[in-house]
Amino acid sequence: MIAYLTVGLLMLLSLSIPVGIVLFLLGFGVDLFFSPFPLIKGLGNLVWSTSNNATLIAIPFFVLLGEVLVRSGIATRTYAALDRWVSWLPGGLVHANVATATMFSATSGSSVATAATVATVAMPQAEKLGYDPKLFSGAIAAGGTLGIMIPPSINLIVYGFLTQTSIPRLFLAGLVPGVALALSFILITVLICSVRPSLGGERRVFPLREMLLALLQLVPIILLFTVIIGSIYKGWATPTEAAAVGVAGAIVIAAIFGGVSLRMFSESVLGTVKITSMIMLVVIGASFLNFTLASAGIGRELQDFLSGLGLSPFSTILVIVCIYIVLGFFIETLSLMVVTIPIIVPLVVEMGYDPIWFGILMIVLIEMALITPPVGLNLYVVQGARKSGKMSEVMLGTIPYIIAMLFMAAALIAFPQIALFLPDALQ
Amino acid sequence: MLQTLLSSLRTVNGWVAILIGVLLMACVAFVLADIALRQMGSSLGGTDEISGYVMAIATSWGMGYTLTELGHVRIDILRSRAASRGRALFDLFAMLALSGTISLIAIRSWPVLERSLANSSRANTPLETPLALVQAPWLAGWVWFAVVSWLTFIAALALVLRGDFDASEAAIGTYGELEALK
Repeated sequence: MIAYLTVGLLMLLSLSIPVGIVLFLLGFGVDLFFSPFPLIKGLGNLVWSTSNNATLIAIPFFVLLGEVLVRSGIATRTYAALDRWVSWLPGGLVHANVATATMFSATSGSSVATAATVATVAMPQAEKLGYDPKLFSGAIAAGGTLGIMIPPSINLIVYGFLTQTSIPRLFLAGLVPGVALALSFILITVLICSVRPSLGGERRVFPLREMLLALLQLVPIILLFTVIIGSIYKGWATPTEAAAVGVAGAIVIAAIFGGVSLRMFSESVLGTVKITSMIMLVVIGASFLNFTLASAGIGRELQDFLSGLGLSPFSTILVIVCIYIVLGFFIETLSLMVVTIPIIVPLVVEMGYDPIWFGILMIVLIEMALITPPVGLNLYVVQGARKSGKMSEVMLGTIPYIIAMLFMAAALIAFPQIALFLPDALQ
Repeated sequence: MLQTLLSSLRTVNGWVAILIGVLLMACVAFVLADIALRQMGSSLGGTDEISGYVMAIATSWGMGYTLTELGHVRIDILRSRAASRGRALFDLFAMLALSGTISLIAIRSWPVLERSLANSSRANTPLETPLALVQAPWLAGWVWFAVVSWLTFIAALALVLRGDFDASEAAIGTYGELEALK
């Protein structure tokens, strides 16, 4: 069954069948060949119970929140404000790229929208101030990946839903590694630009008054983030309710800064519906596959497979990391996550690892997939927004950040507490 | 004719998507009202239940819009290396797989509604929502998705047979992220 899944998955995916449909087809296959009783009878009920779900409505809410912030021009203002604060560092604006991407990933769920916005605003500045295009664009692509780690993260909601783990705990577990990753991006940029100042462009120091004024622009976003995360962990609101509060907050912020219009609203709504249904087709497909696999007894087979391999749990984790890195060259974030969860997570849990910890490790690896060629969505997004130069420049520029991600993955494996201490401490 | 069919599918789905947006916003308002009331010691109750229904209906009806916007993710690593004729074959095959699967989902979902109708089932919650009331629009969304995908498939097939690969690619190709930014 494991061989069937692997071969079938790769074959159907490479035929360019939509990922969600591939998962359904694999599920039909499992039903046909491996299940003692027909599972397809349960299809309708499964589709209903998967989508009739109050937790998952957090997905469209968080997407809408991000769309409103980005389309009303708040992201642009944030970039300008952060510029005032970080441009004195070696590497100057590059830090604003990382910081803006980090802040927006914190409030929204959409990596692509974040990367696209930052790239559109930042690129003209890069040329003017003499930045190295490689490092500059690489930082945007890499910064945009933080969106799936720093809560509220849609990917963590999907992971929590499919693995039956607590979403508030996942959010808390993602916070420290996410912020650490952002800081390591900043650190690595400072290092590179100290050694090779020519890459960093012009460093600028702004007067204190301007810095304080800029801070005012940042307050609403920081407040919004605090309210969302704070209310979830304080137990005042479920992730869903916090997301609804976030949407309202985003609209209020957009209204205060004058970015609200009917056009902005309809664009945000259309973007939200498109992304939500895209995610949901994949999620429903994955839960159907999960259901057929569980009914056909994948757990036992995985156990046999594992003991047959004779690997220690530690080497198994290393093998899994390598699998993700390799698959990450070709498959993207959500798809990569969802197609591997039904097979890999039971295996990891079987070996006694914490599913919360593994979720965070998986997210780091999937972030890497976003910026590794040939298929790396953020590379294309940044390249699309900068309108000149070669794609390979963006790819080269992400290398330092990929190294930082590898370090983070290693650190998570060596010290699981990086992810787990916050949810444990706050329990 | 074919182009009219494709563009009207797109327009109709665009309006459906806007309606879903209104539904989602209404749900946001409802959740907020409940949070506010809870602070005052009372509650509308059932926000989770209603959010779930909204999600089910929004999901099934939004699928068609995502399809016409080429939003369902596909891995096009082999496809992108093929010439336009080859790409059209990839696209048609993918559409066929999608239309078939979605039809199966729609057909297999009917018993869910049928049972609720036959038993006049109500949700096992304080609201005691008659399930058919929410399952009917949910199922209709999947049926609509199946209809949209078959119509799109047929139109694209006709375009390919006519040799109009550009038009078929615009209807069922993959979405370039670069275009998404424009």
